[in-house]
Amino acid sequence: MEISQVVGTLYCTRRVAGLEHCPLRLLQDSKGKLVVATDPVGARGGNWVFTVSGSAGRLAMGDKRILTDLTIGGIIDHWDGGATAPTAPEAASPKTDTA
Amino acid sequence: MKICKIIKPLVSTNRIPGFEHKHLQVVQDGSSMAVAVDAVGASPGDWVICVGSSAAREAAGNKDYPSDLTIVGIIDDWDPEH
Repeated sequence: MEISQVVGTLYCTRRVAGLEHCPLRLLQDSKGKLVVATDPVGARGGNWVFTVSGSAGRLAMGDKRILTDLTIGGIIDHWDGGATAPTAPEAASPKTDTA
Repeated sequence: MKICKIIKPLVSTNRIPGFEHKHLQVVQDGSSMAVAVDAVGASPGDWVICVGSSAAREAAGNKDYPSDLTIVGIIDDWDPEH
């Protein structure tokens, strides 16, 4: 599952029946690419969310019939933009002494 | 399957009910970060094996579990510059 930021809502009145009335959100993923995801949790612009892709995205909507390949799984409570990979809390875990 | 390193747990209070109560971990695969469902109870700093696609769903619980990346094993010892 990927982490991305919600840019805003996408309004798409003419759509296939398979999308039913799902709200669509415009997301910017970690590489800066704009993607569209269906939204079962009600995220707003600026929220950091994690997305579920592929056929698991259809299950994430709670209804297998919805024709989506990317769904918002949830809103992340605290996220620092992920620019710097935060180091593990303790200095260096004994098992792996990464150089 | 991929070898990833656990960065930290991902806390998401407002999320879909399909995830039930499973823990989510932020994992680093090479240079990109991703989120995986933790089925084995790994801790930050561990090197783990992650599985994707439909296997990720069964590994996380049942066939209808909405996951596309699940941690299925903790490597005993792994040298990153392997």
